[in-house]
Amino acid sequence: MIYQVRHLTRYSYALSVASTHSELRLTPRELPWQSVVRSVITVEPPSATMRGFRDYFGNNARYCSVLEPHHELAITAESIVEVRETNPLMPAATLPWEQVRASLRAWDDPVALQSFEFASESRYVRWNAAIAEYARSSFTPQRPILEAVIELSSRVHGDFKYKPESTDIDTSVEEVFRSRRGVCQDFAHLLIAMLRAHGLAARYVSGYLRSGSVGAEASHAWVGVFVPGHGWVDLDPTNDVVVATSHVTLAWGRDYGDVTPVKGITMGGGEHTIEVVVRVDPLASIPAPVEVRRMAGRRWDR
Amino acid sequence: MIDEAVAPATWTYSPVFGHYDEVLDARGRPRRHWRRLANTMTRLGPGQFARRWQHGRQIIQANGITFNVYGDPQGQERPWPVDPIPLVLAGDEWQAIEAAVQQRATLLNAMLADIYGPLRLLSDGSLPPELIFHNPSFLRACHGLAVPQSVFLHHYAVDMGRSPDGQWWVLSDRTQTPSGLGYALENRMVSAQILPEAFKRSQVRPLNRYFHEYRQGLFELTRTKRENPRVVLLTPGPFNEAYFEHAYLAKYLGYTLVEGADLVVRDERVFLKTLGGLVPVDIILRRQDDSYCDPLSFRGDSVLGVPGLLAAVRAGHVVVANALGSGVLETPALSGFLPALCRARLGEKLKMPSLATWWCGEEKARRYVLEHLPRLVIKPAFPRFGLHPVFGAGLSASERDDLRRRIEADPTQYVAQEQMALSTAPVLSEHGLEPRHVVLRVFAVWSGDGYVVMPGGLTRISTSEDSLVVSIQQGGGSKDTWVLADHDEEPLPQEPVRQPVDISRTPDLPSRVADNMFWLGRYLERVESMGRLARALLPALSSEADLGGGLSIESSLELLIGYEYLPEEMRGAPVLEQRRWLEKVLRWIVFDTERIDALSWNVNQVRRSARSLKERLSSDAWRLLNRLDQEFPSGVISGEAHLLNQVNTLDRAILTLASFSGLMMENMTRSQGWRFLDIGRRLERSLQLVELLRHGLAGVVSDDQAALDMLLQIADSAITYRARYYTTLQTDLVLDLLLVDEANPRSVGFQLHTLAIHFKQLPGQDPSGRLPEEQQKIVKLLTAVRLARTTELAADRQQLGEFLDGLKQDLLEASTALSSRYLSHSMSTRLLASA
Repeated sequence: MIYQVRHLTRYSYALSVASTHSELRLTPRELPWQSVVRSVITVEPPSATMRGFRDYFGNNARYCSVLEPHHELAITAESIVEVRETNPLMPAATLPWEQVRASLRAWDDPVALQSFEFASESRYVRWNAAIAEYARSSFTPQRPILEAVIELSSRVHGDFKYKPESTDIDTSVEEVFRSRRGVCQDFAHLLIAMLRAHGLAARYVSGYLRSGSVGAEASHAWVGVFVPGHGWVDLDPTNDVVVATSHVTLAWGRDYGDVTPVKGITMGGGEHTIEVVVRVDPLASIPAPVEVRRMAGRRWDR
Repeated sequence: MIDEAVAPATWTYSPVFGHYDEVLDARGRPRRHWRRLANTMTRLGPGQFARRWQHGRQIIQANGITFNVYGDPQGQERPWPVDPIPLVLAGDEWQAIEAAVQQRATLLNAMLADIYGPLRLLSDGSLPPELIFHNPSFLRACHGLAVPQSVFLHHYAVDMGRSPDGQWWVLSDRTQTPSGLGYALENRMVSAQILPEAFKRSQVRPLNRYFHEYRQGLFELTRTKRENPRVVLLTPGPFNEAYFEHAYLAKYLGYTLVEGADLVVRDERVFLKTLGGLVPVDIILRRQDDSYCDPLSFRGDSVLGVPGLLAAVRAGHVVVANALGSGVLETPALSGFLPALCRARLGEKLKMPSLATWWCGEEKARRYVLEHLPRLVIKPAFPRFGLHPVFGAGLSASERDDLRRRIEADPTQYVAQEQMALSTAPVLSEHGLEPRHVVLRVFAVWSGDGYVVMPGGLTRISTSEDSLVVSIQQGGGSKDTWVLADHDEEPLPQEPVRQPVDISRTPDLPSRVADNMFWLGRYLERVESMGRLARALLPALSSEADLGGGLSIESSLELLIGYEYLPEEMRGAPVLEQRRWLEKVLRWIVFDTERIDALSWNVNQVRRSARSLKERLSSDAWRLLNRLDQEFPSGVISGEAHLLNQVNTLDRAILTLASFSGLMMENMTRSQGWRFLDIGRRLERSLQLVELLRHGLAGVVSDDQAALDMLLQIADSAITYRARYYTTLQTDLVLDLLLVDEANPRSVGFQLHTLAIHFKQLPGQDPSGRLPEEQQKIVKLLTAVRLARTTELAADRQQLGEFLDGLKQDLLEASTALSSRYLSHSMSTRLLASA
């Protein structure tokens, strides 16, 4: 599948802002099943400067600063990405989950070592006994790990109500678990908590979903679980699917805090409002490269 | 403290059984390296020694050596606790300590380079991954950042203790923002002054060379290779426990002391916001915890620090020492792994062992810990503010079970250590000499090629001879540490420290400091003018005033209505009611702590501004400010008698303020800092005078003697008037004296004239002669005042009112123009909602 992604974030300030420093994670990752054909980030005001770097988790990040007074900051990320089918999963053939759990402790294995830091609590992923207990029924003895995880993801999908704006980033996993509702970010954190509570490695993936699906109106989030033999397998509890060609991957980390698409600090500015628009449209073919005209903003290539 | 009058005739000292004593050997005789000091003390005897110590304490007080106690609601500074008897260490023993500390610093630096680089420590199994990945001080954002010459650890401190067999053990490592160096220096200054003969004869090794190495090592780290790299010392601010030390070290090393808000990142470079504009910064010597250094990259919930700092580090444009993320090594859980790491990395045996430590994340260690809880000290594996060690011995059975459960639930979070029988040394107490347990903090710094160790250190002592807790925060004390030169060694020349390369440059004045100076000046003047106002109005409350003697209720009311302390309706109220209100308002002004138009609120503002200027005000200035503070009783006191008694209080406060002004004029260098203080005073005084004339003259019916006299009293110009005019009070003459007369330091004209001179001296003057806005305003004001026709104005109150309103408006605009040109950098930082 070929997608054209357009992601706009616009901050409007009540008072003039003297300067803004921000960090962006808006450029999709290059992956065995995902190629980034083009990716451009445009910032208004045009005096913004950017510098790309790769973060600890290998994500494409950018440091962006605006050093002149402004009343509005608009960041537009436009990408063309090709997402390909991967080999079909055979959940029944995966290792028993207890064995996976034990293998994570063998930290002299470089692969296991990588997954190690996705196996413990992190800033946004904390759990209590009730959360662990909820997940327990999926983890029957000797059950192949993927079977267990897919079933658990389905249960989360069935038992929790997708309700836009019912939560914000400070809503804890425990609170989401109690109220049984939230958005994609909450379900991702919740499923990660359940997996980590059982000693498994799970990571938070941020990205986009083809327009028309649940959660596609903003940037999306789902869960990767570490399955020896397969590597990381992604599941989307919000849509109850194993991630395939409907998802475009931006970045991953331990939780939302590691992959926040746009975060920033301003000097001055008073109250602000924020507007986010995401469009993910399939294209029939890869469009020929267009000469990028200098429009209002300064453009930066990948 | 020992009192000279009751001092015993001779010294007696008995160490604690079962502990190594630093002074006395097993047979109770002073050890060889202590003999010279012991002889001196014997010769002086307790009486004379006490006299010397009295002198020492005066030095501490005069130098304002303090520390802050966390959790103290007053946020008060305490005098630095130091004991007059130094800890003496023999030269040969020191060599071993020195080598061990050098080795440890080298090892820890290599570990940092690995942790923030290839992480081989984990892949080769040298360290369990929890110690890095679960460690909140492992800053992922710093991973992979290049650090010049791979020096992550620029300065380092290590705490060590001595066991009964005489062996030194490492108790803990300080790899992030090691403190104590400044205090060690201060302790040395005190001990060398009170025990000069012992100091000289013992051949104590000097400390100054170390500070030279300290500077040298920092310069070596600059990437810009500029001739004069600019170094700043970043402090969390006046409320940090060691703020005194930050200010002191910055002064000693010749670096500018800055807070996060003084720095700004532009184009991935760090700049210091100064009066003269932005100046580039090459090295940040940080005393701020790394997770607070850049709100963009670290704590998402804090706006402290410098947004974009990490981007500047990433771009290689600034060096932060110690490197961001170096706190990762401050976990005691590492100790057990160091011997093997030392062999593997340096190919050497670890020279000084660490105190026996068990990390509960390892199953064997956990079993041991759970079985031996009563003998161990349990600590958090990852130290955080507010987490304290738990002594297993002090726990009840149920508390112990509770602890056991907590450890089992999350074993990786706990370590256990043996409780060490620390050595003892004598301290001077009110009973003479008493033994206290000691912990020695030793400092090392990167010098350009390897680590050098300061020959000395900060010795800390326990609160009592039974306590093994050594913490200044919890009431312990400190000692100087004398390291003796080896006898075989060449006597050390007391060479002067080579002149630092950038000594010629006057330290940059951060805009924030200028801002604080400016507001200190304004608040001081505001307090003075309110004090004078209250003092002049108080007599009106006495009953004789109603009978026509002295100041009338009426003119007092007019003034207070003008200042908007009272509503206009008060004019028509019955006299008794007016009296009641007059009293009420004066009560506010003098006693209220909440209202911003009351004295004590403004005194508080004086204190706030002064506090962040600590290193720039002399100790005398501090004493006066403290006195001012004490002169204002807080809380509302009722009763007429109390209010009338306040005349004396106000008199004293006004005198204190006058002393402070005198001190500022006579003792302060004419730096830009001083200039801003004076600008603040002059601007505020002009404003206060204009308001006083506006409201004081508006209601005066033709030359009301009492009212005019009150005006002159408040403006402190009564004597001048009489000396000049030899006549009854006339409105036009009063106006002339208070508004126009530039020879009267209490006139508006005098303030404007002074401001005009100051403004010309500020940085950034346009060579073409074009005047910036604040200067234009002052020229305009000065012209208006010089051309004022006082006789006409005095005759026409409406015209006078409009004239004075115009002056006030221009003064406020001049102040705004000045602020936005020089002081506007202090803007609030906000987090954007994440999206």
